[in-house]
Amino acid sequence: MELSALLEPLAGTPQTTTALAVLLLPLLAFAVLFFFGRRLPGQGGWLGISISAITFALSVWLFVQTWNTATFHTRITWFSLPAVFTANFTAGILIDNLTVLMLVLVTFISTLVQLFSVGYMHGDKGYSRYFAYLGLFTFSMLGIVLVDNLLLLFMFWELVGFSSYLLIGFWFERPAATAASKKAFLLNRVGDIGLLLGLFAFYTCFRTFDLEALRTLVTAGHWTGNGFILGYTLNGQPWLLELSPLLLTLAGLGLFMGCVGKSAQFPLQVWLPDAMQGPTPVSSLIHAATMVAAGVYLLARCYAFFTVDALTVIAFIGAITALVGAIVALTQYDIKAVLAFSTISQLGYMVMGMGTGAYSASIFHLTTHAFFKAALFLNAGIIIHAMHRGLHRSHPFTHLDPQDIRNMGGLRKILPLTFYTYLLTTAALVGLPLFSGFLSKDAILSGSWAWAQTMSRGGNLLYFVVPVIGFAVVLLTAFYMARHMWFIFFGSFRASFEVRELRLSAKKEIENVMALPVILLAILSLGIFFSLNPLSISGSWFLQGISLEAPGTKYTLLADNLVQAVLAQGEANHTLHIVFGVFSTLLGVAGISFAISKYKNKPQEALWRQEPEGAFARLSYHQFYLNSIYTVAFIKPVLLLARSVYRIDKRVIDYTLNFGSKLLVVFAKIVSWFDRLVVDGLVWLVAALSKLVGGLGRNLQNGKVQSYYAYSLFGFILIILYIVLF
Amino acid sequence: MNFILSSLIFTPLLAALVVLLLPVRRQKAIKAVTLLGTLVQMVLAILLYFRFDGSAFANGQQGYQFVEKLHWIGFSLGTLGRFQIDYFVGVDGISISMVLLTGIIGVIGVISSWTITKNVKGYFLLYLLLLTSVTGCFLALDFFLFYLFFEFMLLPMYFLIGLWGGPKREYAAIKFFIYTLVGSLFILIVMIGLYTSVIDPQATAVQLGLIGAGGTAAPNAILQVQQMLQQNMVSSADMVRTFSIPAMMEPANFIPGSLLHVLSGVELWYLPIRFIAFLLLFAGFAIKVPSVPVHTWLPDAHVEAPTPVSVLLAAILLKVGGYGLIRIVYPIFPDAGAYFSILVGGLGVLSIIYGALNALAMNDLKKLVAYSSVSHMGFVLLGLASLTTEGVNGAVYMMFSHGIISAMLFLVVGVIYDRAHDRAIQNFRGLAKVMPAYTTFVIIAFFASLGLPGFSGFISELLVLLGGFSAPEATGMLPRWLTVVAVFGLLLSAAYYLWALQRMFFGKYWIFPELRAKATITDLNFREYLMLAPLAVLALLFGILPNLLLDKISVAVTGMTQLTLQNGQEQLELVLSSLIR
Repeated sequence: MELSALLEPLAGTPQTTTALAVLLLPLLAFAVLFFFGRRLPGQGGWLGISISAITFALSVWLFVQTWNTATFHTRITWFSLPAVFTANFTAGILIDNLTVLMLVLVTFISTLVQLFSVGYMHGDKGYSRYFAYLGLFTFSMLGIVLVDNLLLLFMFWELVGFSSYLLIGFWFERPAATAASKKAFLLNRVGDIGLLLGLFAFYTCFRTFDLEALRTLVTAGHWTGNGFILGYTLNGQPWLLELSPLLLTLAGLGLFMGCVGKSAQFPLQVWLPDAMQGPTPVSSLIHAATMVAAGVYLLARCYAFFTVDALTVIAFIGAITALVGAIVALTQYDIKAVLAFSTISQLGYMVMGMGTGAYSASIFHLTTHAFFKAALFLNAGIIIHAMHRGLHRSHPFTHLDPQDIRNMGGLRKILPLTFYTYLLTTAALVGLPLFSGFLSKDAILSGSWAWAQTMSRGGNLLYFVVPVIGFAVVLLTAFYMARHMWFIFFGSFRASFEVRELRLSAKKEIENVMALPVILLAILSLGIFFSLNPLSISGSWFLQGISLEAPGTKYTLLADNLVQAVLAQGEANHTLHIVFGVFSTLLGVAGISFAISKYKNKPQEALWRQEPEGAFARLSYHQFYLNSIYTVAFIKPVLLLARSVYRIDKRVIDYTLNFGSKLLVVFAKIVSWFDRLVVDGLVWLVAALSKLVGGLGRNLQNGKVQSYYAYSLFGFILIILYIVLF
Repeated sequence: MNFILSSLIFTPLLAALVVLLLPVRRQKAIKAVTLLGTLVQMVLAILLYFRFDGSAFANGQQGYQFVEKLHWIGFSLGTLGRFQIDYFVGVDGISISMVLLTGIIGVIGVISSWTITKNVKGYFLLYLLLLTSVTGCFLALDFFLFYLFFEFMLLPMYFLIGLWGGPKREYAAIKFFIYTLVGSLFILIVMIGLYTSVIDPQATAVQLGLIGAGGTAAPNAILQVQQMLQQNMVSSADMVRTFSIPAMMEPANFIPGSLLHVLSGVELWYLPIRFIAFLLLFAGFAIKVPSVPVHTWLPDAHVEAPTPVSVLLAAILLKVGGYGLIRIVYPIFPDAGAYFSILVGGLGVLSIIYGALNALAMNDLKKLVAYSSVSHMGFVLLGLASLTTEGVNGAVYMMFSHGIISAMLFLVVGVIYDRAHDRAIQNFRGLAKVMPAYTTFVIIAFFASLGLPGFSGFISELLVLLGGFSAPEATGMLPRWLTVVAVFGLLLSAAYYLWALQRMFFGKYWIFPELRAKATITDLNFREYLMLAPLAVLALLFGILPNLLLDKISVAVTGMTQLTLQNGQEQLELVLSSLIR
């Protein structure tokens, strides 16, 4: 197989051209709004929304064109290095079921959130900057979804991180916001380093980043006793690879590191709660519905390249994340924090689904979660807005946290629309029957059970930890969401102002632009939209489109045997599915009733003043003290190292140099002394000696004849003596 | 068009002559002449860039483009042959990017120098001299000529730092001078050694009467001379020794039995003499790069130098070090290059991490940027040491990209220093509030430098790391863990830039009370837009369309890499075998 033939340019089609337009339009919105936004009428918010709406319309068209019918791929050569053993670096757009699903999802929620933001961000000084950033984010997110190779994916991946950085730190005058944005970017970069190393590993073996080419190459290989054997040619040069399972597993885990960072998996999840410092619609779009799901999307895109071992690690990390997120959510009081930890927990579900071979269930959950979690966050935004309004109208100077659910209560009657939409979406999150979350979560749970059954055929029952955690999290989720609802909507209002101040006016609860998105999203959390039988996923149009057998998806390759076995086991478990459905419903109901029974009879005063009590509650409230641990274990040592390294520069290198130059000066002084005393002294000595000798000679020539006579006589005697004696 | 390279080199010199003749008080005229001179140079450089044929590989004596070769100094030494120095300039894929960079940064530097008030005439005179010598350095193909320009760079730089610098300028200038001088001494020693060992085959052929004087080089004749030489059939009197770098790149041009011939068998401190020569040359250029541990002149020089001089220093002068390694050290001593790849790569990775850690500890924004330069230039060493196509192309790309981005970084630091006469990070907070446009450029510069995709820095870091990572399989150089460690440099660079952003630009607006009296904090003016915006656009352009640069450089760089690798492995065996004998 010739690699360069796999990387030939592919001509554009109307579909890919449209996709390119979908990609670039938000970038255009960013550019226009960033540079001219303030000069546009209405500060240009409408421009961002209309462009978003256009991209949504185009995405729907693409969806209709593609879903279960065809895939489209366009590719150009991006740049090349002229060596026989490097292939061209390509760039292209790949449209398949997964792509169009994500396209519609992202553009739809993005449009709704921007619409919501018109109300939410009204009057903010950075109004046009806000919409500009959202444009940049949408561009980068769509880039991740559309591109056909891992390098471009990584580039957009980082750009998403950058736009997230800008949006978390949108209110840059708040120290907490800028700290959170920095933390998010850095922790994401930790993951990105793994992702980059994973990319390098694949490149080293396969000499390309192109996903289709990679899949084709991997398909051509096969497992033997020693490892994965694969042969291909590149520009006529043969390449024969024998890859050890460990290398492939590590490469796959490198890719997974990217997901750990972006999708807030354990142990890098600590950035996500802090990211709530951004405007709430941003939390809804980026930190709940779309960007954080990019990690799961990455897993899906690269599903062919994970080995069985890599998938096992992924499954366990996902389960741990789901559990940790849910436990921490139990005791939070910040309205957004609860939702943020719930997001972490649900992302854990998705990753766990990916790891256990429940590929389509995981994508399904990504989709349903995007709708109901976006709605929950927008609702939280409405409540925060209302609390601000109330505070502003009555007590502008009190230090009351408008996001603390202990200050709320009884909002059911005063904000009915918010209450009912919140109720619908909470039901979806908890996974009650008839709601979308029920379908997708059950698909993951039954998938993970089948996986555990398959994996433990060797007798190791440890694998059942994963599905067991999955079920436990259902209980926890039901509990914390019921507690959350209770604190906000039931009982009586606990803050020190009139509850009706929360309404926009006596007749109106909120602005229409804010109500519409919430209502739409809440309706979409009903199960009927995803499966005609809202109690069962069998026959769901949705699942068929994203299953591993769907057109354009090229199976799991490295872990093919396992996934096939798991799917077969899943089929065999047919009756068990019903049991799981009933069981998880029971768990959900139990969690809810437990929460209600715990808080129902508590006096309002006690709820208002509640603090986490007991070791477990404190551990949960402080997120297992992970932030402090990271500070002590990583940040402080690195800063210490940095300062000591600088000291090396000053004290060791420069000191040595200065010492050397001083030594040189001393040496020069010695040389100069030597020069003066010895060299000059010698010259002086010669001069003095010659003077002396000269003086002696001069004295002889005194001009007296008698002396000359005496000298010659003396000389004559000497000659005679010499002759006589020798 | 035949004299385009000489025009490039001497345009600034011509402008300097005009400046010299202008009276001191005609400051505007002096500035205008300087600007004109650099603009002409930039236009010439861009013209050259587009006329340059990127698909031609410069191998040996052929393939360099726009070559000008004149006999400069030459006389017979009797039985010792002929002494000859040529004015030999030419451009290939390795130098073309550096010439373009010099052209662009030259103009940006003048715009940034517009506010200089102290001794304007002297300043611009030295500025122009500096540009001439740097351009000459990048274009010279004769080692002697190269050395001449290389040494001459020191003089204007010394005075520019020493006279127009900050409070500790004398210390910094002398430190810079001595460091670089020591480095060039090493280079000088090796240059003389090479001179005694290498002949110019064409000139020797003329001397032997194989071809007529002034005749074009017939490949056969050159081959014949080289064979005769290796068989000891050329008498010493007929040998025309040369400083020509292309001649030195061919092992066949080394005189058998001479000091630096691969089979000389001479040892010094238990190492073959060629290895010692490599190490000396490497040390000389590593000081210029600069690589840890010979980098400490850089932060001091940067901190004391005025902004435009910092820009030139970081953007162009440092590149002479990397350029020397790629142009001279590796092609002439490929055996030692292969042998010491772990040393070079190790120093590269050390620079990346060490520089980044230092930057993290800095409180002075300019020092932070200076140490980030150390960190980024480490990538050049790493890419080069990998000897892979990706790595070396990445190294050249990094030199270009760092030229653009570091210029922007130092300009950005200069902007705040102009306003507040201070640049300590802890003395400012929330600058984004009062200087939004400035903050935008700071964010662009910082993120470009930390390797955000879309900017040229990403492409270069990617290629270097890709080359380093795949080197064990592709070329057998560098252990893989070195590259893995280097990747953590990306995390550290994000850390120091984002921390600086957080401390200095975000939060509530506040500046240190003692600064308030003198400082007038205003947003960018037109002149500052003029110097920052083009750089931002270039960083983006070369980040999105790497072809623009790679099409011109990659054939030559790849060819040189493969030649180095091939020659290196062959010669390494010969060198080691000659030792055993």
